[in-house]
Amino acid sequence: MESTPDPSSKLTRHDEPELDLYTIPIHSSWFSWDEIHEKEKISLKEFFDGSSISRTPKIYKEYRDFIISKYREDPSRRLTFAEIRKSLVGDVSLLHKVFLFLERWGLINFGAPGGEDSAAVAEGAERHRVRSEDGAPNGIRVVAMPNSLKPITMPLTLDVNGEVDENGFRLPPLASYSDVFCDLTKEKGLVCGNCGDNCDSGHYNCLKQGSPVICVKCFKNGNYGENRSVDDFKFNDCNENRGNQGAVWTEAETLLLLESVLKHGDDWELVVQNVQTKTKLDCISKLIELPFGELMLGSSLGKSRASNDNTSSIKPVQTSLESQENIKNGGQGDEQINESEQNGDAENQGPPLKRKCITSLSDAGISLMKQVAVISTMVGPHISAAAADAAVAALCDENPCVKDIFDGAEDNVTEELGSPIRNNELERSLMVEDSEINERPTLSEMQKTSSEKNAIPLPLQMRAAIATALGAAAANAKSLADQEHREIEHLVATIIETQMKKLHCKIQHFEDLELIMEKEYTHLKELKESIIAERIDILQRVFNAGISRWRDPISVKSHTGSPILVCDLTDAR
Amino acid sequence: MKPLPSTSSKNPVKFRMPTADNLVPIRLDIEIDGHRFKDAFTWNPSDPDSEVVVFAKRTVKDLKLPPAFITQIAQSIQSQLAEFRSFEGQDMQTGEKIVPIKLDLRVNHTLIKDQFLWDLNNLESDPEEFARTFCKDLGVEDPEVGPAIAVAIREQLYEIAIQSVTSARETRISKKGRRGAEHIPASKASGTALDLMKLFGNKSSIIRKRREWDVYEPIVDILSNEEVDVLEAREDRNARRID
Repeated sequence: MESTPDPSSKLTRHDEPELDLYTIPIHSSWFSWDEIHEKEKISLKEFFDGSSISRTPKIYKEYRDFIISKYREDPSRRLTFAEIRKSLVGDVSLLHKVFLFLERWGLINFGAPGGEDSAAVAEGAERHRVRSEDGAPNGIRVVAMPNSLKPITMPLTLDVNGEVDENGFRLPPLASYSDVFCDLTKEKGLVCGNCGDNCDSGHYNCLKQGSPVICVKCFKNGNYGENRSVDDFKFNDCNENRGNQGAVWTEAETLLLLESVLKHGDDWELVVQNVQTKTKLDCISKLIELPFGELMLGSSLGKSRASNDNTSSIKPVQTSLESQENIKNGGQGDEQINESEQNGDAENQGPPLKRKCITSLSDAGISLMKQVAVISTMVGPHISAAAADAAVAALCDENPCVKDIFDGAEDNVTEELGSPIRNNELERSLMVEDSEINERPTLSEMQKTSSEKNAIPLPLQMRAAIATALGAAAANAKSLADQEHREIEHLVATIIETQMKKLHCKIQHFEDLELIMEKEYTHLKELKESIIAERIDILQRVFNAGISRWRDPISVKSHTGSPILVCDLTDAR
Repeated sequence: MKPLPSTSSKNPVKFRMPTADNLVPIRLDIEIDGHRFKDAFTWNPSDPDSEVVVFAKRTVKDLKLPPAFITQIAQSIQSQLAEFRSFEGQDMQTGEKIVPIKLDLRVNHTLIKDQFLWDLNNLESDPEEFARTFCKDLGVEDPEVGPAIAVAIREQLYEIAIQSVTSARETRISKKGRRGAEHIPASKASGTALDLMKLFGNKSSIIRKRREWDVYEPIVDILSNEEVDVLEAREDRNARRID
């Protein structure tokens, strides 16, 4: 804090200027109006090396004071470089350097809204957007207009599109989180007409007019409602619905786009002709957004991947996805799936995770891990710990069985999960959840082999894999943390040892000094004694010489150090 | 002969762009069969010359221009590069030089007008960074504006650098002639530079007078389609008149 206001003084002393409160960060408390600090001299040494008449300390101080005062005219508004550079004479690169220096140390724009705040930027831009201008002799007036440039970016979409790999186990590249975990998410607004439950994973539309949807359970149980029979209902998969939500690009269009890119490669005109409903720019930006878009370009240009493989297999994958859904729905029978949203609460560390596309199984682990890693590096350790705790809590809440198994400390480590047991709660609960999934009545012993794993519906495998990946990451993190801890201990021990050695040396030093002092002391004592002995000797001689008269006993006493005087006395007599 | 203060800080430096990256500004303006191709960008002179043809081919393909453009583009780039390289071996004066740079360009729908000072002595200056800050501070959304600004700055710096080479050559020649000629070349060399004593001396302040703020303030205008058309037509007419 630079200065404090004094409200009472405002009333009593009007002549004194009002003091304003400006906030600067603590690490900038070295700043003072009247002087130039070492830090400034070091960071902006061009001003202080006398290399040019245009760069002197006085000039630097003027720049600095002007910029800070300008900012403080309105501290709530972000000061931009363009505003001050028009008012200062000097090389713009150098001015920019000073500006950045002050901004970095929080002496300006501390607490002003950031540059990414689009509202603030738009405001600032409004202020700079100027005015009328006389263009030319023939009198064209160019008047400022609000920005009318069309946005080129396309909104993010959650499409489901397919691409099949050889082992048939790939997830559709554009499968979003909600597609994988859609049985866990509640379908908004679709309530069963019969039992009042939310329709989780699919609902049956009655073909007859005026009838509501009923959920899967009711359909199976035969509760169709009055006067309706099995045939009247049409199954409506949640996947399909989701695929069409709010997407500017429909599936068909995306499909066309992909096909035409594979066929024509880089030739955007032909691509646009194929995808009639979208312009060239739209096509290009859409393709770039698709996670594999650029790969496709590369493959169509360079490699010999036949386009037929992909296009013909896209359709079967979609149908197989649906059939798998059917199996899963059919198999679950009466089991309640009351799990709340996220198994992905494990990923609740950040909302963006839910939107990221999962490209393929082999990639899913990587991309998810990357996301987790990125987010965990962005936030501090406390936040990550809190998030992990919340994840565990959410997992426990999801299903009461989890808690029981958790407490029971039963180890259902499967071989493919493979991660060693640690004290990490998150990992354990994840594995427990896996085992809990495995315990579903649909398929009983799918614990071990990969062939059996193939029989598990796709989303469950995804979840198992994700849990595995997260568990492995957690285990890895723990081992890293242990290692760090050990290293810290080692270093601390080294430090302590060094300190001890230092103390030891000092003590040694002092001991040596003491020894020397003692020796000197004894030496001095000897000297003293010898001097005293000399004196006595002299006095002795004096007495022996027989001095009868002592003029002044005091003065003689004081002159005992000078035998010559005494002798003079005797001679004088 | 006592050296003047302005010349004493001069030690000849080999010609180069006075910026951190030694990039050459290239401007293309080619017309064939009614197709007009205008572009401006920076080129790294240390790239191999084979890159020029590759670049020309790719540009023609991306923009669907008639193939006759390939050779024209490549030739134009190469001649500008050759010109740059012809200056390369020579010496450049690097006295105190703070020069005014003016921006007056139109990129798609954005019109930019600006004026500021640039220190030629600062061999680490970065026009691209200046352009980035400019666009960020003034909220310019068109992504083509930034590079255009950088190229415009580079062109002016290039011009001034060439001038300093020629003046260096002249000082050498005239030095051989007359001793007293040192006075004259010194002032000629700093013809475009500002009088630093006047600006930065003890008596004056480095804060500009308010009435001059408008002159040095950046102006960004967004034009409507009609205005763009009119301006384009005028530019074409001017260009043809020069031809």
